[in-house]
Amino acid sequence: MPPSSFTPFELLLLKSRNQTDTAALLMLAWILANKARALPEDRGYLDTLADDFRHGHALAPLVETAHAQDMAAIQLAAEVLQKDWQGESAHPFLRQAIALATSGGPPSHRNHHVLRFLADLLSVAPEPLSALYKSVTGQPLQHPDDPSRAAYWAEREHRHQQQTHADDTAEAETAARRRREAQARRREEDAAARRRAEEEARRRAAQEAARRRDEQARQRRERERAERAREQRERAQQRRREEEAEQRHRRQQERERQRTGTPPPPSFDTVHALRVLGLDHHASRRDIKRAYRRLAQLHHPDRFCAQGESRMALASRQFQRIQKAYEHLMQDARFV
Amino acid sequence: MRDLYKRLDVPSDASPDTLAAAIEACRHTALKQDADAVLRVPARRDAYDQLHATLSDLGRLRARLGLTHAPHWQDDVANDFSQDSDRSLSRHQELADKLDALVAAGAPSAASRRPWRWLAALLITALLGLLAGLWL
Repeated sequence: MPPSSFTPFELLLLKSRNQTDTAALLMLAWILANKARALPEDRGYLDTLADDFRHGHALAPLVETAHAQDMAAIQLAAEVLQKDWQGESAHPFLRQAIALATSGGPPSHRNHHVLRFLADLLSVAPEPLSALYKSVTGQPLQHPDDPSRAAYWAEREHRHQQQTHADDTAEAETAARRRREAQARRREEDAAARRRAEEEARRRAAQEAARRRDEQARQRRERERAERAREQRERAQQRRREEEAEQRHRRQQERERQRTGTPPPPSFDTVHALRVLGLDHHASRRDIKRAYRRLAQLHHPDRFCAQGESRMALASRQFQRIQKAYEHLMQDARFV
Repeated sequence: MRDLYKRLDVPSDASPDTLAAAIEACRHTALKQDADAVLRVPARRDAYDQLHATLSDLGRLRARLGLTHAPHWQDDVANDFSQDSDRSLSRHQELADKLDALVAAGAPSAASRRPWRWLAALLITALLGLLAGLWL
């Protein structure tokens, strides 16, 4: 059998140094092809990912294959991925896929379904998938819209119309003003004196109204200021009371612990912070430090500065979360 | 997302006239209304067709990969776009078969030459070792 009977993607896969990485790249390129509007920085993101991967060939043929929606190639890639990545080990790849699909706003309809297909392929259940989505984008994973219903189109066009309607009203206002000006000019020709008198009266009335309005606004502002001050006072008192209660509670717990000799159960914050660092409650101080260093390096915003503003903002948000979790854990007495 | 073409029983590339006739003949009022609103406006039909094509592809992929009963494949989408499970066509197996055929047809000489080379290299080193032992 001559070698020409291999499809281009099969040849790429055979030549690749790492078949799983090549298959993953094809899937990411497929997501890029299914975006409603591909940003120029997305291609840059794919390029950097391709550099990190160990596949050892050019990216362009993969992108072409994906754009042609070559289902035979995509099925082959899916089979390779399904064989090599299952469950937890697929999370990094799904993170990349979600980041790519959502870089320019919510994912397109097609990518909604493609992401869910990838999750099923890699045995990632709905809850872990929504957790991943939340941690990458900061927003919950929505159900995909249904364009087979008239209601979807009605709502969409209504929203569109509202936008254009706002523009229309602005236009109408300028036209009305122009008409009013023309009328005023004509009236000026007719009876300049009367107009001046009217104008004078109107101006006086307007000044009066403005003065009254200012007065009211000042009163309102003063009232608001007083209210705010009172609220702050109340809040401060509340906080003091809460702190006292917490201290009392803590002291009581301390006493309890000394009496029974067992460490207290970890608080919700601590458990959450440990989860942010990907650890469980058996972790030691050293584990925490190591996890923090690894994650901080991985999510440092400086690594993303070549990939556009939005991705950098995302990374810095994640980086702050990791930092906060680490600081919280370092203050926790159980990890000293 | 439902497959309106399947529910109206027309091919997905039906002409506007065929489609209009099918919608007129439809007895299900809600479906008739939706199909009328979605498929008879060209811009909407284009957007719908794009998603329809992707979902059909995904349905076929899932059937071949054994994913037609998966947690993310639910409701209308699963009802309308699932296909009969067909695990006979594995692309990976196909690729492996092609490689086997290639090896069987053209490459026996190349495949068998290699072990000979290894054997020869081994023999030469053994001989050299023997000579060195005798010399000392």
